[in-house]
Amino acid sequence: MTTALPTSTDKQAAPSPWAVETHGLTKRFGENVAVNGVELLVPRGCAFGYLGPNGAGKTTLIRVLLGLTHADAGTMSLLGHPVPRHRDKALARVGAIVDEPRFHGHLTGRQNLQILAAAREREARDRIGPSLERVGILHRADDKVSKYSMGMRQRLGVAACLIGNPQLLILDEPMNGLDPAGMQDMREMILSLVAEGRTVVLSSHLLDEVERTCDAVAIVDRGSVVRQGPISELLAGTSLVLEVECSDPDRARALIAATAIGAADGASVTANPTGLGVSLPAGTGQDVIAEINRVLVEGRISVYRLQVLQASLESWFLQVTSRLGESQ
Amino acid sequence: MTIRPSAVGSAPAPVLLGEPVGVTPDHRGSWIPSGALIATRFMELRKRRGLMVTLTLVTVGIPTVFMVIRLLLHAFAPKSYGPAGGYDIYTALISGVLYVFGFIVAATLGATAGSADLTEGMFRHLVVTGRSRLALYMARIPAGLAIILPLVAVGFTVVCAVCVFAAPTQLQFNGVNVPANLSSAGLEAWAADHADEVICNFGIRIGPSTPNGSTIGAVVNNVLCGNGPGGGPAIVKQPPGSQGQPLPSQPSQVQITEAARLIATMNYADYARQFLYPSNSLMIKSGLWLELEAVIGFIVGLGLGSLIGQRTVAVVLMIVLEVVLTPILSRVRIAHLSNLQRAVVGLATAHLAPGGLPVFGGGGGGPGGGGGNPALLPESTTVAVCVIVAWLVCWSVLGAWRMMTRDA
Repeated sequence: MTTALPTSTDKQAAPSPWAVETHGLTKRFGENVAVNGVELLVPRGCAFGYLGPNGAGKTTLIRVLLGLTHADAGTMSLLGHPVPRHRDKALARVGAIVDEPRFHGHLTGRQNLQILAAAREREARDRIGPSLERVGILHRADDKVSKYSMGMRQRLGVAACLIGNPQLLILDEPMNGLDPAGMQDMREMILSLVAEGRTVVLSSHLLDEVERTCDAVAIVDRGSVVRQGPISELLAGTSLVLEVECSDPDRARALIAATAIGAADGASVTANPTGLGVSLPAGTGQDVIAEINRVLVEGRISVYRLQVLQASLESWFLQVTSRLGESQ
Repeated sequence: MTIRPSAVGSAPAPVLLGEPVGVTPDHRGSWIPSGALIATRFMELRKRRGLMVTLTLVTVGIPTVFMVIRLLLHAFAPKSYGPAGGYDIYTALISGVLYVFGFIVAATLGATAGSADLTEGMFRHLVVTGRSRLALYMARIPAGLAIILPLVAVGFTVVCAVCVFAAPTQLQFNGVNVPANLSSAGLEAWAADHADEVICNFGIRIGPSTPNGSTIGAVVNNVLCGNGPGGGPAIVKQPPGSQGQPLPSQPSQVQITEAARLIATMNYADYARQFLYPSNSLMIKSGLWLELEAVIGFIVGLGLGSLIGQRTVAVVLMIVLEVVLTPILSRVRIAHLSNLQRAVVGLATAHLAPGGLPVFGGGGGGPGGGGGNPALLPESTTVAVCVIVAWLVCWSVLGAWRMMTRDA
């Protein structure tokens, strides 16, 4: 993997093209290395997914980035400001939800935001109402937070981010506790924030949501970033899956395996009760699919359905992480 | 694989924003808290209904209920129950109730202010704003003091009001009802009119150097004191020829009066320290002393709460310090540890108690108050002030340090 680093060495003089930039970032908890030499580059103005299995170190990296805990090694910058040296400048334009958003339960949503606005610039107070309206809880703004559902707290967490008019939003599992309609709203809001030129870093285990929302992703496993880049580029390198529904799956499997297609590197054929699953190498063309159909028909096997399945982020994620698991 | 900032999917062209235009500089990295930060901290504490009710009940409710009960008892059974107010009640309430409870409630508020953000998950949101953690800590001090100081003041005002307005109308001095606030001459004149009671009740110590000792002795040694009409001792007159042995030389009324005047003069110094109600000076001094105690309780509670990150443990520790350790360490004299004992903040504040206030439930304050209380471990005022300042600074530094280094 190669990364195009910004050429400027003076981060203060010229704005960095990266919203988040880390080099060799490491965080240990005793013997456990939660974040292991992470090299992460998040371009400005995009939705960036940060994916990883449970315990991969996603939240720890976010906590380090935000100064909630200190790093043991490495360098990082947010919006071009080196952290922790210029932490106050960097965080002035950052909004974040880390873990489950929790607030003072005895205060209303609006009062909680007033506390946070007081810690920000004066204009933040004027943004409380619009932020609450944008996340759809303005009508409950004067209710105590202890009466809020989990989903409403998530929305309040996003509103807390928005009062700072952030250029960078770091959202840790923002879909947690949201119903399908709420997830749809959140997705639309993230996209609208990106459309406004903001950068959104979305940490999630909901791969489908990330795929729908984000332009680029980084996959983290065991504290290290193992892949990162635009989703389209990452998926372009994945295998193609052909699903075949036919009258005699076992014989069909044997027929395909006997051809040059079945014997090619990266190809595999698996039988299932309704048909076959044919995995083909990345870059396989349409003619190969036609050839498979021809072989089956000439072998007097009735083909009921032949469908190319688009490689998804989920299948790619599982592929990457399972391969890692095998290697270790 | 290459990541370029301008080539990520369908994202719009990157917006390279510098510092936003039109945003007021907010000195976010400064350790000095802004007014808005303090105001919202105040609101956060004030809105804790359970805590505020408890604080109010303890600082205002307890003395108020105590006073109301005494007022009612005195109103319905004046012979059995004395007046609700007065100097003695004042000193008992100030040094026995408000002093101890004021410290505890202030410590409770401080521990809450020091730990609530952490336990309720708000600390993380605040840190993410980029605001200096030290400023976040410092904002709690004026916010908390703005709550606890008025509360203590209200409780103290209730005590003062009742003690002044429901004070006894006559002073009990050596078991005799004496008008209060008499001058030396006034007391002599009163003594002349109440010679029997003075001679038989007032303290008399006649030594070789006692002025007019022979005059007083001639009278005192030649009168018999029995139960007077008011229940107290009074001179029993024995006319010549009556039953019993007549006294060898019964003093004349003039001698008795003169002796009473002299005895009154001898007792004036003690009498002058007896009051119907607390003086303005004492009330001002003890009010400030109580507020000092509340400030200490709050600052120490804040530091401890922030250090531990938990309210309950911090409050329990503060109660143990105030109710158990301080009284013991202030009275027990442990060889080789006396300097360590002097470092207890409760002892230091006891030594700063205004004159006339007994501390730690006994001993009588005397002119020096806590400082003059012989039961307390001796400590100079300078040392006491240094101990208090050291406690305030140390706990503030510890609390702030923990807040600045804690994982959020």
